[in-house]
Amino acid sequence: MSVTKELVLKKLSSVLTDESKDSSNIVEAGLVSEIVIANDRVFFAISTNKEDVDKFEIVRKKAEEVVKSISGVNVVRVSLTSHDKRPVDLNRNNQAKKVNNKQSVDGIKHIIAVASGKGGVGKSTTAVNLALSFRNLGLSVGILDADIYGPSVPKLLGIKGRPNPGAGKKIQPLTAYSITAMSMGFLVDEETPMIWRGPMVISAITQMLREVDWGDIDLLVVDMPPGTGDVQLTMAQNVPIIGSVIVSTPQDLALIDARKGISMFQKVNIPVLGIIENMSTFVCPKCGEVSHIFGKEGAMKEAKKSGVPYLGDIPLEMDIRIGSDLGKPIVEFNPGSVCSQSYNRIANDIWLKINSSEKLQIVPNIVYEE
Amino acid sequence: MTVNNIFMKLPKDIILSKDKNKIKLIFNDQNQVLLDAELLRVKSPSAEVRGHGPDDAITVYGKKNVLISKLELVGNYAIRIFFDDNHSTGIYTWNYLDELYKNRDNIWNDYISELRLKKLNRE
Repeated sequence: MSVTKELVLKKLSSVLTDESKDSSNIVEAGLVSEIVIANDRVFFAISTNKEDVDKFEIVRKKAEEVVKSISGVNVVRVSLTSHDKRPVDLNRNNQAKKVNNKQSVDGIKHIIAVASGKGGVGKSTTAVNLALSFRNLGLSVGILDADIYGPSVPKLLGIKGRPNPGAGKKIQPLTAYSITAMSMGFLVDEETPMIWRGPMVISAITQMLREVDWGDIDLLVVDMPPGTGDVQLTMAQNVPIIGSVIVSTPQDLALIDARKGISMFQKVNIPVLGIIENMSTFVCPKCGEVSHIFGKEGAMKEAKKSGVPYLGDIPLEMDIRIGSDLGKPIVEFNPGSVCSQSYNRIANDIWLKINSSEKLQIVPNIVYEE
Repeated sequence: MTVNNIFMKLPKDIILSKDKNKIKLIFNDQNQVLLDAELLRVKSPSAEVRGHGPDDAITVYGKKNVLISKLELVGNYAIRIFFDDNHSTGIYTWNYLDELYKNRDNIWNDYISELRLKKLNRE
């Protein structure tokens, strides 16, 4: 006798989601994935919340047992998947079904990464000021400080205080200047170092992104840590980043690492929206003479060489540094300055690029034939 | 590279066949390619299969009837394939899938000779 899906489902409907009498069965609860039957082998998955994985081990065993009791079934493999998404309704019509395969984050429309390769080139300052410029465009903006070891966003935005637990076990982010922000710096003292190995960092990043009640956000700016390691890879694998922005000073030392950043994004198929040259020129406040402290047009040349767009430059200006240390970003407190206007123009440019790439498909659809 | 020039061979759709033993990649130009579960499994680009260097690599055998239970996207650049023998650590980039398809005859022939040499078989 051949084993049918119906038969397996019938058997599985005797398995309850937990011990209590009035609980529903796992089929009714929609926890059973697509069932695959190949001769004498049956396999499927039961989905559960991450917290319930241990509890569901019993359910999993039970499900395995009842299916194994069907005559003609030899091997049964049941796996537990902990996903936010529930499997598609099995009773739906027989068309090929498209799996909701976007790894989207609740409430967030677009995510961009601001990265540099090298540390100390002004990436966080740029990220924060760009976030404010995006806000000036009328967007609702969030910023995620992905630098676990050296979070700068709290200082730059002048945020003190701790996030509260919000609805549904999620963390309530903090806000400053209408920017919704999340940073490791909100959770530990400024003086306390995070002495963590990679896996801890990965789980912190994932939580700061997915277990935060972001509300409705048009654009999330992720302030990436320097380098091309754990955090960058986690972001590239688990988050649908629509594009990246590379910040570099014009000097060769920084450009070498910027180049690595660019090629990392290219390897993981995240479009590079462009390079920003930071600390581009210094204008002497006394005599007005322009000095190219870190070299001239290095980032622009690099952009040309790497074939990525050049987004513009931000001069080295005392006001940016002062504002940054006071938690008063220049775009907010001196909106008329050359720097602020540059940030605004660059943000506008990036937003246009996001809108034009939105129409492009950057990931394939995954379809299960039925 | 500009935003609208994605340089990888990005498929439009990835379809898991009804009998779960192959995937079909459909491209924007309507080009379609098929890849067998067995080939994908034995050439999984995972550390489990490839090791950490050529000397570490293992020959996967006995996967003639292996099936695919699930496909999962990895960022913008790859899929992770879950097989019914519980192997799921392979991350297949668009480029790797393309490479597998283009060289499938050579890869397959090499694989068969490797099995023969090591006195292993597909069943």
